[in-house]
Amino acid sequence: MEQGLQLIDVSKTYNEGSNRTVALDRVSLEVRPGEFVAVIGPSGSGKSTFLSIAGALLQASEGEVRISGQKLSKASEKELSRIRLREVGFMMQSSNLVPYLNVVEQLLIIKRMGGRVAKEDKVYALQLLEELGLGAKRKSYPEELSGGEKQRVAIARAFMNDPKLILADEPTASLDTKRAHEVVGLIAKEVKSRNKAAIMVTHDERMLAYVDKVYRMEDGKLYPAAASAASAAAASSV
Amino acid sequence: MYLAIKEILRNRSRFLMIGIIFVLIAWLVFILSGLGNGLQTLAASTLKNMRADYVVFEQGSKSSMSKSLLSADAMKAVSEQEGVRAVSPLGNSMGTALQGDGSSSEDKLDIAIMGIEAGSFLEPSVIEGKGLSKDLLTGAIVNKSMKEEGFKLGDTFRLDGTTESLTIVGFVENETYNHVASVFVPIEEWRRIAFAAPGADKGLHDPVNALMIQGKGASVKAIDAKLGNAETVTRAAAVQGMPGFKEESASITMMQAFLLVISAFMLGVFFYVFTMQKSHQFGVMKAIGSGNAFLGRAVVSQVLVISVVSILIGAGLTYLVATVLPKAMPFLLDTKLVIIYSFVLLAIALLSSLVSVRRITKIDPLHALGRVE
Repeated sequence: MEQGLQLIDVSKTYNEGSNRTVALDRVSLEVRPGEFVAVIGPSGSGKSTFLSIAGALLQASEGEVRISGQKLSKASEKELSRIRLREVGFMMQSSNLVPYLNVVEQLLIIKRMGGRVAKEDKVYALQLLEELGLGAKRKSYPEELSGGEKQRVAIARAFMNDPKLILADEPTASLDTKRAHEVVGLIAKEVKSRNKAAIMVTHDERMLAYVDKVYRMEDGKLYPAAASAASAAAASSV
Repeated sequence: MYLAIKEILRNRSRFLMIGIIFVLIAWLVFILSGLGNGLQTLAASTLKNMRADYVVFEQGSKSSMSKSLLSADAMKAVSEQEGVRAVSPLGNSMGTALQGDGSSSEDKLDIAIMGIEAGSFLEPSVIEGKGLSKDLLTGAIVNKSMKEEGFKLGDTFRLDGTTESLTIVGFVENETYNHVASVFVPIEEWRRIAFAAPGADKGLHDPVNALMIQGKGASVKAIDAKLGNAETVTRAAAVQGMPGFKEESASITMMQAFLLVISAFMLGVFFYVFTMQKSHQFGVMKAIGSGNAFLGRAVVSQVLVISVVSILIGAGLTYLVATVLPKAMPFLLDTKLVIIYSFVLLAIALLSSLVSVRRITKIDPLHALGRVE
C-alpha cells in the first residue's frame, strides 16, 4: 500500500469573471513517512492553496492527490471531512484552540468528533502533552497559555488522531525566535519519532535547518531547493 | 451535548442572560395560561362541570342560554330519541343576593341562579350541608366562595328586585357562571324568580332556558327535526356561546401566541448571532475534521439544555406565584396545560436553532487558514 502523501500533476484554477487565475500549476510532490518537508515562497505564490489541497480542505481542479493511498479527487465532502479527521493533522498560523476547553480536552475533542473517548486516548493525550512539555498545563485554558504553549497544544492536537500526514501552515508566524525554534524542533522530533509524513509552509528561513527537503513555490509552480539552511539561503539568492 | 455544556459552563454570564430572558418568557406564558384558564373557569365552570354531552337551545339563540327559552314539555320527545340516556332542564338568570337590610354595598353580591331538577344529574355534589329537595323549594346550594362574603350554612338571603328569599342548605365547590358564584335552586323556584313579571315566560308551559342531554351517541339532527324549533349543540359549543367567553379567551390566546412567536425569534436570533461570532471557530473545527453533524448537535443540544432548564424554572416560579396571588384574581393552573405549553416552547426553541445549524453547514473550513487566496 502506498504511504505518505502523493501529489501528481495537481493544478488549481479559479475563474474570476473573465480572468482565469492559476493558483497551482501542475505540482507533483511525494512525501514519505518520516520525511519533513518545507515549502517556502513569497506570499501569493500559491502556498496556501497547495496546503489546502494537500490537507483535503480544497479539491484540485486537475491531477490527483493521495493520502495513504486514498484518492481525494473523487471524495465527497463528507469523505473529505473524514480524511481530515483520520489522516491529517493540521497546524495553523495561530493555534486556533477552542476557547472553552482545557488543554487535555482540546486533544480529546478530536476523538469525540469521531465517536467516543476511550481510556487509552486519555493516556495517549497525556503522554503527548508530557513529550511536548505541557504536562503541568494540562488543565489550563487557552487564555492562560503563552503563544508558544498554545502552538505546542496545536502540535499535540495534530498528532492526537495518529494521522499519517502532518501539515503546518506558518506555525512560527506569531512567535519570537526562541519559541519558534522550540516549536519547529518539537514538530521535527515528533515527525521523526512517530514516522509521519510532514509538510511545513513557512516564510521563516531560519527554520529550514529542521527539515529534510526544501521546496520553493513561485507563481503556482513548485521547484526543489537545497536541503540545508545554508544552501537554501544560497539557492534563494540564485 | 459535551461541547454544549462545556461552553455554557465556561461562559456562564452570557448564557445566564439568555436563560433569564427565556425564563421570563416561559413564566409569562405559564401565568397567562393560568389566568386564561382561571377566567374561563370563572366564566363557565358550572357549564363545563355538568355531566352532559349535548345542550338543546331554542332555534336562533346562537347557543346562548340567555337568548333561549323553550318549554320543558319537549323533554319527553327528546328522551325518546336514540342515544339519549337522560334529559334534564336548566334555567339560568343573574341576580343579586341581599344580606341583612341591603343598605350598604358590602351586603350585595352578584350571583348566577341556576334552576335544576332536584336530584338530577345536573346537581353537583355538596361538600358541606345537603343537596336540593323538592320539599324545600327555597333551599339553595351555593358555591363556597360565598363563604368568604360572609354567607353561612342555614343563612337566608333575599333576592334583589324580587319577593323571593333563599336559604343556604349546602355548599359546592368550583361552581361559577358568568364570573360570579352559582346558586342552584329547584327549577320550580327558579321559574318563580325568573318569570315573576306577567308575560315574561312568553306563554310557554314550564319554560326553561335549555335542556341538557346525557348520551354521547345522541343524534343532533334527529332531535332538532323532532322538536322543530330547537337547535342542539355539544356542551363545548354551548360554553363557547356564552356571552363574552370567546372574546375573553381569544385575547388571552393572542397574547400567548405573540409571546411564543417572540420567543422563537429571540432565541433564534440570539443563537444565530452566537453562531456567526463563532464561525471562525467552527471553521477551525471543520478543518481539523469535524463533520457538520457534530457541530450541529452541539448547537441544538445547547438550545435544548437552556430551554429545558429555563422552562423548568419558569414553571417553578409560576407555581410559586400561584400560592401568593390574591384569591380575587382568577388564576387556575392546569398541569396538563402547563405541560403542553412547556413542550410547545421547547419545540419552538429547537426549531429556531435550526437556522443556526443551517448556517454552520455553510461555513467553509478553508477560512480557518485565515488567508484564502
